[in-house]
Amino acid sequence: MLPPLKPIAMKERVSMVFIEKGQIDVKDGAFVVIDETGIRTHIPVGSIACIMLEPGTRVSHHAAALAARAGTLLVWVGEAGVRLYAAGQPGGARSDRLLYQAKLALDDDARLKVVRKMYEIRFGEKPPERRSVEQLRGIEGARVRKLYQLLAKQAGVEWNGRNYDYTQWDNSDTANRCLSSATACLYGICEAAILAAGYAPAIGFIHTGKPLSFVYDIADLFKFDDIVPHAFKIAAKNYPNLEREVRLMCRDVFRQSKILRKIIPTIEEVLAAGELEVPKPAEENIAPAIPNAEGIGDVGHRS
Amino acid sequence: MLVIVVENVPPRLRGRLAVWLIEIRAGVYVGDLSAKVREMIWSQVEQGLEEGNAVMVWSTNTESGFDFLTLGKNRRLPVELDGLKLVSFFPPDEADSSASPSGKGPG
Repeated sequence: MLPPLKPIAMKERVSMVFIEKGQIDVKDGAFVVIDETGIRTHIPVGSIACIMLEPGTRVSHHAAALAARAGTLLVWVGEAGVRLYAAGQPGGARSDRLLYQAKLALDDDARLKVVRKMYEIRFGEKPPERRSVEQLRGIEGARVRKLYQLLAKQAGVEWNGRNYDYTQWDNSDTANRCLSSATACLYGICEAAILAAGYAPAIGFIHTGKPLSFVYDIADLFKFDDIVPHAFKIAAKNYPNLEREVRLMCRDVFRQSKILRKIIPTIEEVLAAGELEVPKPAEENIAPAIPNAEGIGDVGHRS
Repeated sequence: MLVIVVENVPPRLRGRLAVWLIEIRAGVYVGDLSAKVREMIWSQVEQGLEEGNAVMVWSTNTESGFDFLTLGKNRRLPVELDGLKLVSFFPPDEADSSASPSGKGPG
């Protein structure tokens, strides 16, 4: 008999794979995509951070269960990689991490410290003293608009501001479409890393009110280093198959910057800036009767 | 790291491969050689293949950490998914019609 399947650490994985069409199922215990002519392609599910399922895919119950056991995030994405819905990896397996994150988000002082740390990582300098989160957001917004303009100018693309309207995908300009596709890839791997580290994607510090608020917070820390400049470069070149070029670029950028090694340590660093202790369980709490098995995955992975 | 696996090839090619690589199982050759030597070996596989098929895999700086090439008819053919190289397994009856002898997979 084979031992039970356990997730491996996020940093050892390939960033993502997009599956366009086919029936996703399990054959002999392996994750396979079968197209209408019976050709089957094995996806090494356990060594991928997130699997992006595009329109035209059907996932069996068994396949979703296998992805969950391998600790791999399944992300259902719409046309051109704009996200519709995401699920698949059982996150939030660590109550201490969730409580820690919630404690930081609820404590105004700690939250401000975390936001200041995020600001520092993004812009490479400490933000001005004695500003509220609200004021920091204003400063950040202005800097980001300037940054977009500058990077667009460097790449030589026309730029009339970031247009997020996902309901009017075809109306947005090439630069915005490239950016949306690229950030969708980034959000996928950030969400996978956040879940793998045992945190909640919904509890954000700068962003709030969305299921992926914390994902947007963390993705923003990496977005402007490589993703945005490269997305603009692709927009400037007028490729016939824009999304494919963007994905190839993302894969290259993710590999070169070793982003999967960096996301979880960055999350820890940002949260540690809040200077709060990880909460200890109350004394009257009952420890598990059956101790947790040791896994080689990340802390938030169920083993 | 370089691994070559051959199936149904003439003994003289197997003997030739054993000149540079170690045959750790029937038809499975392992070594650690430079890109230049790898290309030289692959061209010899190409020439000596006859009815058989072969695959060569080596470590390189792709996201998977390796890359591979195939030659000859086989039901398994490489496919590329937005920069990630995977393998498609063809049903038995279609193997003949779909498998391209050049070893370049669809897509």
